[in-house]
Amino acid sequence: MVYKIFSIVLLSFCNYLFSDLRIEITEGIEDPIRIAIVPISWNLKEPPKKYLHQIISSDLESFGEFESLSPKEMLSLPKTEEEIFYRDWKILDVDYLVLGSAYEGDNSDDVIVNFSIFNVTRKRLVKRGISVGSSIYLSSLGHAISDRIYTEIKGLPGIFSTKISYISKEDSLTGRFSLRVADIDGQNDSVIFSSNQPLMSPSWSSSGKNLAYVSFEEGTSRIFIQNIYNANRRGLKLQKGINSSPNWSPSDKYLAAVLSKEGNPDIYSYNLEKDSWRQLTDHFGIDTEPDWSPNGKKIIFTSNRSGTPQIYEMNVSSKKIRRRTFEGTYNARARYLPDGKSIVFVHRRKGIFHIAIQNLRSGKLRILSDTKLDESPTISPNGKVIIYATKEGDKDILAGLSIDGKTKFILPTGLGEVREPSWSPLLISTNK
Amino acid sequence: MSLFDQFLVLAAVICTFSGCASVSMDRAVETETASAISQSEYSDSVGEDGGTIYFEYDKYNLSNAAMSDIRSLAGIIKSSGANVRIEGHCDERGTREYNLALGEKRANEVAEMLQVNGVSSSKISTVSYGEERPVANGSNETSWSKNRRAVIKIL
Repeated sequence: MVYKIFSIVLLSFCNYLFSDLRIEITEGIEDPIRIAIVPISWNLKEPPKKYLHQIISSDLESFGEFESLSPKEMLSLPKTEEEIFYRDWKILDVDYLVLGSAYEGDNSDDVIVNFSIFNVTRKRLVKRGISVGSSIYLSSLGHAISDRIYTEIKGLPGIFSTKISYISKEDSLTGRFSLRVADIDGQNDSVIFSSNQPLMSPSWSSSGKNLAYVSFEEGTSRIFIQNIYNANRRGLKLQKGINSSPNWSPSDKYLAAVLSKEGNPDIYSYNLEKDSWRQLTDHFGIDTEPDWSPNGKKIIFTSNRSGTPQIYEMNVSSKKIRRRTFEGTYNARARYLPDGKSIVFVHRRKGIFHIAIQNLRSGKLRILSDTKLDESPTISPNGKVIIYATKEGDKDILAGLSIDGKTKFILPTGLGEVREPSWSPLLISTNK
Repeated sequence: MSLFDQFLVLAAVICTFSGCASVSMDRAVETETASAISQSEYSDSVGEDGGTIYFEYDKYNLSNAAMSDIRSLAGIIKSSGANVRIEGHCDERGTREYNLALGEKRANEVAEMLQVNGVSSSKISTVSYGEERPVANGSNETSWSKNRRAVIKIL
């Protein structure tokens, strides 16, 4: 028992110590779902390096949608369905209850978790599941279980196994630029590439294996593609002028990007197999910041062809262009929501840059953020959460909000300046 | 494969005993990221400072003062036969990639004015850093006005 208490304290301390980015909710939702994750009964020889119920509880609470009960508050700790006394949980206002037990798999590192989700109000089992992971990567296993609980209760993919990439810099005027990748809870933060020259615009491939980004390491902007797991890296053939804004098509066959080799910035599509470029826009103004629609048929981009930066949408096969924003004099860097029906972008109102959302059919624009100098919005693959870059004093920080505007949070870090967040797609297991 | 079969059996057993039809299994993603290293890196110490031209917010046209500065600089460059590199920059307001384009417009404007004043285009290269390389820190007009610039470097 003493050992157990000691390791809980130690684990909490470690989480704090190694966490570079972490989520800190500044405005919560009024009525979160109350969930109780009973400590997973552990039937392996080696004691756990982390506690799964803590990982799962903290995951589900990340974006304000859930409030989880700590084991101290629980009136009983059932191990099986038969041991559940629903009234205990009803008294505590719990909506859902999760029980689980962990066993050793065929390989001694394998951990198999059987878990069950119960609806307390309806007094019934709603889902049983089995998740398998490694005792070395217990956080990954915890995130995988969190994802499945989330999916079962909310009917949407869970995003707790996703990652975020971003750019950090020790100081705004000096120091190295680092391209980083971290788990969405801030753990396992690692530098993928670093340079004394600027790094920009990280973009995830749909496979979740590669990042495309811009590096000035050769004294000019150039697009690079890097596998984040084996560090394989290649630069796209340098074109005269700007080489920027890489953005993967949903099929991963193309990169939309911006080149100014013809004298002014235009949108191009790069065919990765054929190593060839196709010009998509041809205008004397600035065309930049492309993003592919989820079905790969359209691209939204920023253009100042009307005199001010506005968002335009192009049909990729016909190259037909339609203006999408009309409110205000600065609308830029749009990103599609996963359903393709709305876009999120940077909107200036009264001199202040905010994150805004607009439904493409109705054209209705709604400002989501109440911070200043907001930019680089990136959307969670389930379409529920936005992370963006903003300022706290003179410092670049990352902040976030739920798409319904109810929850707001910041991602504090000890890394100096952080910017250009990019949310990974859902990462699907490929091993075994 | 045998491991997977065992899961199926296990799942089937649980279903049988619980009367539950929907047990599903997954495996957690567990992979470590790796870092790459650049072969050679450009150094900021390349070239000598040939002067700085400042711009209005969200604009890239040259002021009269800037044009006369560039004119006298063009004379020096022509007589020395040196190559020049023009670096365009923006303040932090607005989006990064749009600012990268705006910085290029600024650098190009200076390059054109040098050419008008007799510098051969083959001697001129341009690069935009957008808002990535500020010289003044702080979200206020004093800092912003210092950061909206084109730097001429004599190589």
